[in-house]
Amino acid sequence: MRMKVILAMGGVACMLLFSTPDGRAQETHIGGLTGNAKRGESLYRRYCIFCHGSRGDGKGENAAYLDPKPRDLTAGTFICRSTPPGSLPLDSDLYDTISRGMNLSGMPSWKSLTRQQRADLVAYIKSFSPRFGNEKPAAALEIPREPPSSAQSVKRGAQLFQSMNCWSCHGKEGRGDGPAASSLTDSKGFPISPFDFTSGTRFKCGQSGRELYRDVMTGLDGTPMPSFKDAMKPDQVWDLVHYLETLAAGGAKVASEAETKPKNE
Amino acid sequence: MNLEYLRLILVGFFALCCAGNNPLWALPPADDAVVNGVVKLEGNVPSPNHVDMAGDPQCAKLHPTGAMAEDILTDSNGGLQNVIVFISAGLADRTFDPPKDAATIEQNGCMYQPHVIAIEVNQKLEVVNSDTTTHTVHVLPVNNPPWDKPQPPGPPIEVTFPQQEVAIPVKCDLHPWMRGYIAVFKHPYFAVTGRNGSFEIKNLPPGTYTIQAWHEKLGTATQEVTIQASESKSLEFVFKPK
Amino acid sequence: MRIVTVKRIGIPLLVLGALLTYSQPSHAIPAFARKYGLPCSACHEAWPKLNNFGQVFRDNGYQLGNNRDAPIYQEPSYFPITIRVTPQWHRESNDRRAVDVVPGVPSGGLVESRVTTSGFDLSGVDLFAAGTLYKNISFAAQPFLSTNGTTLLQMFVRFDNLFGSPWLNVKFGKFELDTLTSEERLLTLNNTGGTYYTYHFRPRGDSNFFGGIGDNQLGIELMGHSANSYTRYAISVLSSNDGQTGLPSNQAYDVYADFTQGFEIPGLGLQRVGVYGYVGESPTFFQTRGGVPIAGTGRGNRSFYRAGAYGLWYIGRFDFSTFYLHGQDNVFLGNAVPADQPFNLPKGAAGPAWNGGFVEAHYTYNPRLVLIGRYELIRMSQQAKPSLRGDFGNLDTWTVGYRWYPFMSSRAGLAWVQEYSHLRSVGTAPLSGRDDNSNSFLMGFDFDF
Repeated sequence: MRMKVILAMGGVACMLLFSTPDGRAQETHIGGLTGNAKRGESLYRRYCIFCHGSRGDGKGENAAYLDPKPRDLTAGTFICRSTPPGSLPLDSDLYDTISRGMNLSGMPSWKSLTRQQRADLVAYIKSFSPRFGNEKPAAALEIPREPPSSAQSVKRGAQLFQSMNCWSCHGKEGRGDGPAASSLTDSKGFPISPFDFTSGTRFKCGQSGRELYRDVMTGLDGTPMPSFKDAMKPDQVWDLVHYLETLAAGGAKVASEAETKPKNE
Repeated sequence: MNLEYLRLILVGFFALCCAGNNPLWALPPADDAVVNGVVKLEGNVPSPNHVDMAGDPQCAKLHPTGAMAEDILTDSNGGLQNVIVFISAGLADRTFDPPKDAATIEQNGCMYQPHVIAIEVNQKLEVVNSDTTTHTVHVLPVNNPPWDKPQPPGPPIEVTFPQQEVAIPVKCDLHPWMRGYIAVFKHPYFAVTGRNGSFEIKNLPPGTYTIQAWHEKLGTATQEVTIQASESKSLEFVFKPK
Repeated sequence: MRIVTVKRIGIPLLVLGALLTYSQPSHAIPAFARKYGLPCSACHEAWPKLNNFGQVFRDNGYQLGNNRDAPIYQEPSYFPITIRVTPQWHRESNDRRAVDVVPGVPSGGLVESRVTTSGFDLSGVDLFAAGTLYKNISFAAQPFLSTNGTTLLQMFVRFDNLFGSPWLNVKFGKFELDTLTSEERLLTLNNTGGTYYTYHFRPRGDSNFFGGIGDNQLGIELMGHSANSYTRYAISVLSSNDGQTGLPSNQAYDVYADFTQGFEIPGLGLQRVGVYGYVGESPTFFQTRGGVPIAGTGRGNRSFYRAGAYGLWYIGRFDFSTFYLHGQDNVFLGNAVPADQPFNLPKGAAGPAWNGGFVEAHYTYNPRLVLIGRYELIRMSQQAKPSLRGDFGNLDTWTVGYRWYPFMSSRAGLAWVQEYSHLRSVGTAPLSGRDDNSNSFLMGFDFDF
């Protein structure tokens, strides 16, 4: 009889031990999906841990051999966001980054995971940085309707490329070879290259003109790409986007024309 | 009860109450203690590094004889500049309102002036561009939200920091040699050493405090101090080159 | 352990040969993990079995698709080669093998007896090189070295994402046929259970050159997939050589096609279903010189086909593979009679036909421990000769085992395996015509660098 009591108590003790709620358990909502951090944890350990590290600090076993380095998820700083600079990303921003991957880096597209799995990963990733517990992300920046592109718009965009100093990093033809490009460092002090617009339209955070507009407005936190939301008006940013989109097709000729004209035209 | 008795009681009562040490009637102590002193660098001062501004001719023009890095600056007596000296413990949970005046940090000659600045939580900081070239103001905090803004010659950028942090690096991505530090405190008891390494923290309430000295390259040092009202104590911090 | 005298095993020799050749399938590639910094578990449920991320990587031509796949992005000293081998201890037992009545005396007659062998052993060595030659041009080269010699298991070049579309990829060379439940990525290694019988089965006495859809074939494949590989198709045109180099058979060509569709069931995971078909020809006689067939001059081609459906089901940590096959060979192939001698066909001869399938279950506790169970069967639906009993050659086999991976890294892999398989073949004992049973037990270290 005593044995039974001991066993029962042992069983209750085990239940209590193993049912202690995970302090990191978080939920997240993306579209109609609810992500669960506990499920996300086992997915993280399978897929993410060797680059991003078991503590999420970007110091996984293979991080030393990777360039660019995997993101330090504990810092709460994320490149691809639809929120103003300095703000946390929305859950959907994290979901999109996981799904899209990051061109020209070791971060693959994880679209081959089910949508539920990606939502679970987002929930777990949010547990790495205390920022997610202490603050809420700011409201997403509104992206106004794109005005139709035109030769005038592209020319204005070329002039903005000049006057806003984009060429200092991105180079006169947008090849990523500007005078400051070789000394750029990211938020961890590692060298980082500006985007080469002549390489196509697979930007770090998307492929469409809308996403390019958003990147210019929100800046890319953790990189030297600043936010221009206080420096340019929405129409100006659309002009710039129209110009940038022509660079892949050799639009640099328009840029050199713009340079020979006086700046305050 | 006769009046004589009553008078004795009243006198005794007032005597006790006004005895100064009686907490019921003690006046609050004056916040007028001072901790001052000097921070020194012992040993050989490393020779400063040259800064190459060839990347931007507009900056190079402003320094025809060349510019030096500002990470370790001393005077002839070994006084260490740009050390932040502050209370790191002992203030319990006292809260302070930020000052109404804004602090200013300037980009002048393609360098930050001052190189190190200390402000309070939620105090306005004005970032001024006095140069003819565009800078980007890129702060890299740990406790505060990061941001990165372009600043062409023109109006200042006004910012505040909501969390304490010692210290937030600030850099310009277009001019990689530019480096500054912004320390943000919850309280007003801090100072940044000047050219001769001296500092003064005024208007302290009496108590026991841990005073910490922070330097961007040489690390930190701490000392305990107990101070009474209207007292002035002097401390010396000594750093050694790494 | 009871000791019983048994007779010779009745498995067709060709199938036995296939077993020995394929006792070491190898498609788990630490070289990929080294190249990208991903762990094995990113692409493999439990290596070598692929998960969907690994399937997409493979369908993309071993590319992650971030413009960092071409060899120029790797350190020049990086070499995309993997070595896999399994030192093991194993025990084989065959219930009914024909042995001399008196050992050493061939004239004394044969009797059916149990034959058991056991001891330490080595599998063959897989050298697998695979990767990219250039952006969107990938390759694989896989020689397999064993005491029986070197086999060229795979050698191909693949042009990926033609016209920028994942729906057009062309593979040229020798390669495994596109199936979701790949025999090359089998989780079991022993001599009895280290193969899928439905992938190789030919009825006893059948002269079909074709060794089954589990044999790697020579030819050209057009394959396409959606971005997340939920929808996939493949069409191949193959020489009727069963993947053997040196043009041994004829000038005919076979066609293989398959189509898969995946879909998510919320709460359970990704599920897939697919259909496939292989249609081909095999020669029934050759031109000869001095009575000896001249290789490549196959004549009297007669047709055969294999077709069926498969599914791959995920329910949490469980996954199930289900597979069905219907096979049919022409009557001349089934009776091993040259097509120019129809009079040699026995009365009432027919083209043999059979149905087969398996269910394989895995429980992946975590990427470092997987439990395996499989049951497979083949049922003849039409015998080639009327003299054969209806269930002659039917197979039932089951396998259980587990793989435990002591560590998971991106440099190399190691698994401790234990498995047991049992096979029953109806009526194929060599002398008595009774059922034939055999079993294998294997334990060892399967490592992969």
